[in-house]
Amino acid sequence: MSTRAEFLRRIRAELARTPALFPATPSLRPAHPREVADTIRRELSERWPATLQRFQQEFERVGGVLHRVATVQEVPSVVGRLARERDARDVLTWHPSALGFDPARGLADEKLTCRTMPEAVPDAAARRALRDTIATTPLGLTGVDVALAETGTMILRSGPGRPRSTSLLPATHVAVFDRTALVESLAQVAVLLEAWHADEASGAVINFITGPSRTADIELTLTRGVHGPKDVHAIFVERPLRE
Amino acid sequence: MSEAELATPFRDRAGRALQDGFLQQALTIATTKFLELRREAFGEFPEGDALRDRARAIKEATLQRLDHYLEQLVDNVERLGGHVHFATTPDDARRIILDIAKRTGTRMAVKSKSMATEEIHLNEALEAAGVTPVETDLGEYIIQLAHERPSHIIAPAIHKTKGQVADLFARELNRPNVPADPEVLTAIARAELREKFLQADMGITGANFAVADAGTVVLVTNEGNGRMVTTLPRVHVAVMGVEKVVPSMTDLAVFLAILAKSATGQKLSVYTTLVRGPRKPEELEGPDEFHLVLLDNGRIAQLGGTLREALYCLRCGACLNVCPVYRSIGGHAYGYTYPGPIGILLTAMLNGAASVKDLAHASSLCGACADACPVRIDIPRMLIELRKEVDEKKIAPWSERVVFTLVAWLLRHPALFRLAAPLARVFQRPFARGGRIERLPLFFGEWTRTRDLPAVAARTFSERWAALEREGR
Repeated sequence: MSTRAEFLRRIRAELARTPALFPATPSLRPAHPREVADTIRRELSERWPATLQRFQQEFERVGGVLHRVATVQEVPSVVGRLARERDARDVLTWHPSALGFDPARGLADEKLTCRTMPEAVPDAAARRALRDTIATTPLGLTGVDVALAETGTMILRSGPGRPRSTSLLPATHVAVFDRTALVESLAQVAVLLEAWHADEASGAVINFITGPSRTADIELTLTRGVHGPKDVHAIFVERPLRE
Repeated sequence: MSEAELATPFRDRAGRALQDGFLQQALTIATTKFLELRREAFGEFPEGDALRDRARAIKEATLQRLDHYLEQLVDNVERLGGHVHFATTPDDARRIILDIAKRTGTRMAVKSKSMATEEIHLNEALEAAGVTPVETDLGEYIIQLAHERPSHIIAPAIHKTKGQVADLFARELNRPNVPADPEVLTAIARAELREKFLQADMGITGANFAVADAGTVVLVTNEGNGRMVTTLPRVHVAVMGVEKVVPSMTDLAVFLAILAKSATGQKLSVYTTLVRGPRKPEELEGPDEFHLVLLDNGRIAQLGGTLREALYCLRCGACLNVCPVYRSIGGHAYGYTYPGPIGILLTAMLNGAASVKDLAHASSLCGACADACPVRIDIPRMLIELRKEVDEKKIAPWSERVVFTLVAWLLRHPALFRLAAPLARVFQRPFARGGRIERLPLFFGEWTRTRDLPAVAARTFSERWAALEREGR
């Protein structure tokens, strides 16, 4: 493409006629991010209670609510309570393979209709129908790839069985995670991001979610739920989900 | 502010802003609050200073090899199934986007907040081509309904009261009896815009960053509209200035750590969205097409120009909040897309030095902006460079140039300078009152129109010094 060549030619010409403002280098990147990521996860697994405490503190500061349960079997009852408080009867969930457990039975016991997202992609018409379902369901249940303690952030990767709008269109977002998701700092997240992007099979979007959707655009009055969820809940499961 | 209003001189626009009681109050409240939040955020973040230095170094390092990082970005975006376009002028950018709209049969485009699309006046072009643009950031939505332009980089509607917003919604959205309650107003906007997100064919965004070696465009929002417009419509177009590229995810994390703290005092904004091209075949949702429009619009020429350092800017708005001039006159008085201290530099970059002949002086050079800038851009240095350029290129009014030339000449000749003091004491006699000169005749009056000039003292410092030496003390 000629415009590309022209663009780059002009940039090179400008750069050639100018000295640098000061000597500078970009950040040093891990040569083998996957190994570094594994090491970080291993080290963190020993001090997860402190990390969880910090996560809770920051998550609550941004308006999130954390629930703790001992096993995954208790997740549906928490979801059931949240749904009843909001007069919600339908729950949207990631596919069990993405979630790490199957909540359908438990949610049925809570008298909730469970709308499970498919793992395989259906045809265009079915996809449109699913979008309408997602847009009209009041509560979305997802997993969490990384729970970042420093900022109270939940990081979710899109992919098969984990559509991105599950955590966006419903008015209430409930996310389930265990100790393996916890990391302490943004610097550690950077290593994970390096490792993920090297993975060609990754989904098209990575979302960092730090509390409920908010705005202060009218007279700087903080208001929740402008486009995304008004309520964000996290359920921490003490016994790891995938054992 | 419309472009036509640019016909009024800067000092009249500023004067009007200073007379506007509500604007004055709104500006003070907003900028003071942003300042406080920013101070608190960095206060409990001891590594902040070191990270700001790091971020500055990354920006400089990226510019030094901008060709390399852009090529890498382009290759990776294409590898992930996206399309990259190169726009030298705003016209190029508009044509590229209109072509995509036409080819994809786009009738409505939802937009998340983007200064780059403001800069190229995209909305007008879309409307003219029969595509309805819908701004979805609440602040931008309000000013779009009001047919205005943003007055702050991150809080575009801070100049409006909730009462004004309620009236606006009542009129434009046919909703009578809307209470002036931000909670209710926000809920109305949510309902209105939710429909648009679901109907729109195209989502248009800017880009806070683009990670070269990951081919990833990064959007930071608080409302979630950035996620909506990149998830629901069939086509996603991202428009970004070429300087927004960063080398790696490791670099990205450094910027994320300081951006929201500088802008709103949050540790992170609510949503940080990393977009790696269109929907993957195995995914349920996301756009079928992803386009990245790389915008030059005067940036490339500044790689080797006096404004190079302004290319580090993250558009956080921190320099606006600390600037005594911005805090007094607000964003509209500047008259262009980008207000505040950094806005003056960006305006000069986009529109040439002539466009800032007045604005270059709309700064006290106090240095608060450089101090607040997360990447420590030396804004005052470049403002002085601009003033020099405005003078040298004879853009400044002749009277100003004559006076400055005379004064400069006088200052270079000590004998004449010493002679000037007693002369000035004679000439100032009709004008000086209590050691101040409040009004000068002729074009000198321009200087005293908005400020007093101190009168030449009865004895100057050098006269006193000479006297002291004579007394042998």
